Amino acid sequence: MRLRARLSMLDVTTWLILAFIAAPLLIVVPMSFSTAPSLEFPPPAWGIDYYRNFFHDPRWLQPTLNSFIIALGASILTMLLVVPAAFAMVRHRFFGRAMTNLLLLLPLTAPHIVIALGYYSYFGTMHLTQTHLGVILAHTCLSVPMVFLTLSAALKGFDRNLERAAANLGASPLRVFRHVTFPVLRPAFLVAALFAFVQSFDETVVALFISGRDAATLPRKFFDSMRTQADPGVAVVSTLLLAVVITAVVGSRLVRRRRMRLQRLGPGV
Amino acid sequence: MSDRTGLDIANVVKSYDGVRHAVDGVSLAIPKGEFVTFLGPSGSGKTTTLMMIAGFEEPTSGDIRLDGRSLVSIAPHKRNIGMVFQNYALFPHMTAADNVAFPLLMRGVERRDQMRRAAAALETVGLGAMASRHPRELSGGQQQRVALARALVFEPDVLLLDEPLGALDKNLREQMQVEIKHLHRKLGITTIFVTHDQTEAMTMSDRIAVFNNGRIEQFAPPLEVYARPATQFVGAFVGDSNFFDVRLRDPAQGTVVSAELGEVATVASPLAASSSARLMIRPEAFRIVDAARPAQEAMNQCDVLIDGSVNYGDSVLVLGRAGTASIRLRISGHEAMVLQEGQTIRVGWRAEDSCLLASVD
Repeated sequence: MRLRARLSMLDVTTWLILAFIAAPLLIVVPMSFSTAPSLEFPPPAWGIDYYRNFFHDPRWLQPTLNSFIIALGASILTMLLVVPAAFAMVRHRFFGRAMTNLLLLLPLTAPHIVIALGYYSYFGTMHLTQTHLGVILAHTCLSVPMVFLTLSAALKGFDRNLERAAANLGASPLRVFRHVTFPVLRPAFLVAALFAFVQSFDETVVALFISGRDAATLPRKFFDSMRTQADPGVAVVSTLLLAVVITAVVGSRLVRRRRMRLQRLGPGV
Repeated sequence: MSDRTGLDIANVVKSYDGVRHAVDGVSLAIPKGEFVTFLGPSGSGKTTTLMMIAGFEEPTSGDIRLDGRSLVSIAPHKRNIGMVFQNYALFPHMTAADNVAFPLLMRGVERRDQMRRAAAALETVGLGAMASRHPRELSGGQQQRVALARALVFEPDVLLLDEPLGALDKNLREQMQVEIKHLHRKLGITTIFVTHDQTEAMTMSDRIAVFNNGRIEQFAPPLEVYARPATQFVGAFVGDSNFFDVRLRDPAQGTVVSAELGEVATVASPLAASSSARLMIRPEAFRIVDAARPAQEAMNQCDVLIDGSVNYGDSVLVLGRAGTASIRLRISGHEAMVLQEGQTIRVGWRAEDSCLLASVD
């Protein structure tokens, strides 16, 4: 009986902690189905007007599109820069390697607000503020450390005998990469690219400083909206993003479970 | 030398820092179809030599020729040499069949042919039913077989095996030894097997190349390496042995004098008279001599004080002293029943069961 009592105490504590973490995330959901002119909890009445509004209002659609363009651009550019860098750093010894390592990790140590100020003044002279390209460049720079750490960890764990085996079996260096190195490292590449994407999608400080009106990202739009009328459009976007994330997580789980079941069934499937 | 078939390694040197030589002037001629083992402790240069044959390391100097054609400037993927790696190096994202088909894919073999030949190769190593499994779903022994099938499916000129049995348990290792040997006999492919396990080397090889400090100390058939080691290192590394410091009395007759054993007869030697040398006697060369088992004629004899013994079931390893020198005797089980610690026994050995080696200072 005592064990049972203790277990239920544990259950209660667990649920309380989960609620503590999830409540601020989930509170936006009811607020988004509201009829109130500004954010209000609990909502005075239920409605989906703000959803209809979101899908027709360019003031919301444009930043959403901007965010996707910039995050995609930043993650592609980051991968193009960091993949060769990680290979060079992990597999070769060269003059200035320690210095390069420090340089690659530098954005991690500098406060975002300092970086933002730097870009604001520097990009200003180059006419890169208020452009997609400017924000993409800045976000790429911020993503480099995380992506570099992820990729170099994966590369260090990669068994180079696999490449030797492929070469031994007749694969030229290019085909070794295509048939062995890349497929084996593909999950790490995907995770790294996702890091870059999310980092850019989420980034607020630099976006506030340099994205301006033309290249405004969602976080910037959130900020502006909260400062002016605090309309439930913010809650709508939050809810939609939450839905996307939950769908992605649950979906990947289902796919993995299905794949494992297929494998267990063995040959002939 | 261009008419020569087989693998010819000529005075190969490999140095990473220009000072120390990892491989220091290795020369070997391996005729087509021979099974050769590179035996030696870690860091002796055996794996480096193998890597140079495969093309993953470039010799600092010297030449490696296959059927008279130099391999040195040829990229690894153009050498047509099969290799089984220590950790198998199976491609984790491919099934067993795709792993085995990989070298065929690289050679532009048609897909249907690839799958047929891969299936046949897997059948040869007894894994026909495992074709669609991924490496992580296979046991260590099965992965080993897939690696073997993959290295053989494209009919390479040479097969290299880099300590392939190291990760397997004892029973499986013995079974794989037999299977590899069987495959070698069936296919007749030139095979180089790297190991630090002397038993493996003894049971599998046509010839053994014993490596030490980047050099080959001896290149000979297993029994010769065992019975007539060329150097003290070989004698100590291959099998168990006793060494005694001796001075040559009459090299032509094979008589030597030792402080511990007195004057004893051994085999004739090219060493100069009155020079010092090492006399090697294997522990199993000794026989107990007593009233019931009198010594044969011309048998060397000495007294051994027994310090202790280790029972192996089929035989007993007796640790004792002959004078001041410690000595190891291997006595077969039933003979060893009566032996006791502290007892002194008389043992004998035949002159031809010992050999003389140059002293290393």
